[in-house]
Amino acid sequence: MVETTEIITVKDLVKTYHLGEVDVPALRGVSLHIKNSDFLVITGRNGSGKSTLLHQLGLLDRPDSGELLLEGEDVTLMHEKKRTSLRLRYLGYIFQEFALADELTALENVMLPAMMIDSVSTCRTRALAVLELVGLKGLEHHQPNRLSGGEQQKVAIARSLINDPVVLFADEPTANLDSIAATEVMSLFTSLNTEHDRTVVMITHEQEETRLGNRFIRLADGVIVDEQ
Amino acid sequence: MSSDRSVTDQPRISIIERKIPFYLISRHILRGNKWTLSLVILLMSVAFINLIFINSLFNGIVLASDEQVIATTSGNVTMQTTPGQMFIPNAPEVVKKIDSTPGVVAASARTLVPAGLVYNGIQGSFQIMAIQPSEERNTTNISKKMLSGAYLSDSDTDSIVIGRQIAGGKGVEMNATSFKGAKVGDKVLFTMNGQSKLLRIKGIFYTKYFEADRQAFISNATLDAMQPSYGDVATTVIVKTDKKGDENQVIKGLRKALPGGQFITWKAASGLMKSVTSSFLTINALLTTVGFIIAAVVIFIIIYVDISNKRRQIGIFRAIGIKSYLVGSTYILQSTIYSMVGVAIGSAIFFAIIIPYFKLHPFKIPLGDVSLYVDYVDFLWRAIVVIVVSILAGMLPAILATRKPILDEIAGR
Repeated sequence: MVETTEIITVKDLVKTYHLGEVDVPALRGVSLHIKNSDFLVITGRNGSGKSTLLHQLGLLDRPDSGELLLEGEDVTLMHEKKRTSLRLRYLGYIFQEFALADELTALENVMLPAMMIDSVSTCRTRALAVLELVGLKGLEHHQPNRLSGGEQQKVAIARSLINDPVVLFADEPTANLDSIAATEVMSLFTSLNTEHDRTVVMITHEQEETRLGNRFIRLADGVIVDEQ
Repeated sequence: MSSDRSVTDQPRISIIERKIPFYLISRHILRGNKWTLSLVILLMSVAFINLIFINSLFNGIVLASDEQVIATTSGNVTMQTTPGQMFIPNAPEVVKKIDSTPGVVAASARTLVPAGLVYNGIQGSFQIMAIQPSEERNTTNISKKMLSGAYLSDSDTDSIVIGRQIAGGKGVEMNATSFKGAKVGDKVLFTMNGQSKLLRIKGIFYTKYFEADRQAFISNATLDAMQPSYGDVATTVIVKTDKKGDENQVIKGLRKALPGGQFITWKAASGLMKSVTSSFLTINALLTTVGFIIAAVVIFIIIYVDISNKRRQIGIFRAIGIKSYLVGSTYILQSTIYSMVGVAIGSAIFFAIIIPYFKLHPFKIPLGDVSLYVDYVDFLWRAIVVIVVSILAGMLPAILATRKPILDEIAGR
């Protein structure tokens, strides 16, 4: 049994976007705790602030106020170089639109973050193993334009796993997939959480997918309105 | 899962991560759009060729002008009359002493004759020189540039050779002030100090240097026959040395052999041509500056457009933990490779195609035939400057791109 520890602590997070002279509040004091082995599903309407929250958790943006603690360490005002290092080694991020480099093969896309740390041969071995884990054995040398949407998203998942992150963030990972591919990708997230003890934080619009997580929050107008 | 790491670990810059730009750029070159890549490299090559072509052309013009001045008009060194004197006395003895000076190949005494020529009722005032043809043959190349007829011999007493611009005719640049079609065998009336003599046009020469082609030559024997008082005098002695560039050294020897002699180099003697070549050098410097600016702008636009098209990818790379300096370095490396390949291909096209072409088909200008002349030190500097300018032009958009917020980069804002 894995010991339950708190990985991420969010305290009263506020973020407002300034669009010309108009201020658009995206997060209005969100507080949250994420423990290891959680599969947290975030849902809400468009503009509810869920992507903004995920960007904050994934260290892609900074809040206007509030605190974000990673394993107890305050990372809110941390220097960008250190946040980059945390994104590389601690966090895995999966974008809605796959976000692969067109000129790299599936294998090379997966290897890329690992090449920051290890030799090419070590990265290759690890990338092959991760690609096999996500079910892409045999497609390693295909460039993204020769892969289906579901396969591309699996490559993106494999890339997010290559440096053995503490937590995976997924921003509507099935939004651009057909139902079969979406089911495969969701099975993969479930498997990563239950069989490989990965902490997963995922945004979704799909009602069915909210049931796959072991925790659930719903945002509306930048605040958590429901939490289970 | 994270037992070997801590959030408080300090990020390190490792040697290992520095392979990322090379890795990304090698894939970009191998798998990117080949047409775009070819076009970019072609643009870089053309920008570089533009820089070296203009420079080599002006070098060629200056070189052709210098060589024509030396070979037809002033020699490498010119001996002038001393102030207050109209003539250099005892010219044959002077020529002998000059000939025996180290570094001298040949010397020729010339006497400027204050005479007029009349042909078919056309009166012309041209520069007429009395020479010793055998000396002149060894000193200038005019005897080898005969368009028709033959050059003078020492014993000629009733012959004259004239330049193409004096003879005139259809297609001759200065036909309006020429004899408008004089031919070999025709007679011209030579008048000097009230004495006249009909001279047969023995030859017409064409050096392609307009100043030389406005000259006419008679032999010393012809002058002696009409005006014995000119005897052994000369107005200038032109000296051919064995190497261009060592004139000052030769002049030192000449001053020892002929104390009090007034010697000047071809550069000092070239007069009008000196200001013409100086103007060419100024134009060359201006065009070079413009060329560098054009090259820098072209490279900047290429890299900027490339980066603009890849902003989302740059954002993604940064989001997954690739350090900004590595992403930026990828584009700096890209501009370095583009410029180096552009310089290499531009040089290959220039040396293998353009230079041989202009050797076969030189530009024909009133200074002579001009082909391209490459100053290799200058060429190397230009190549280095193009590469450095490319690196700087690539650096600016790369730095700008990696300083934007990651989410703006991904969203293309």
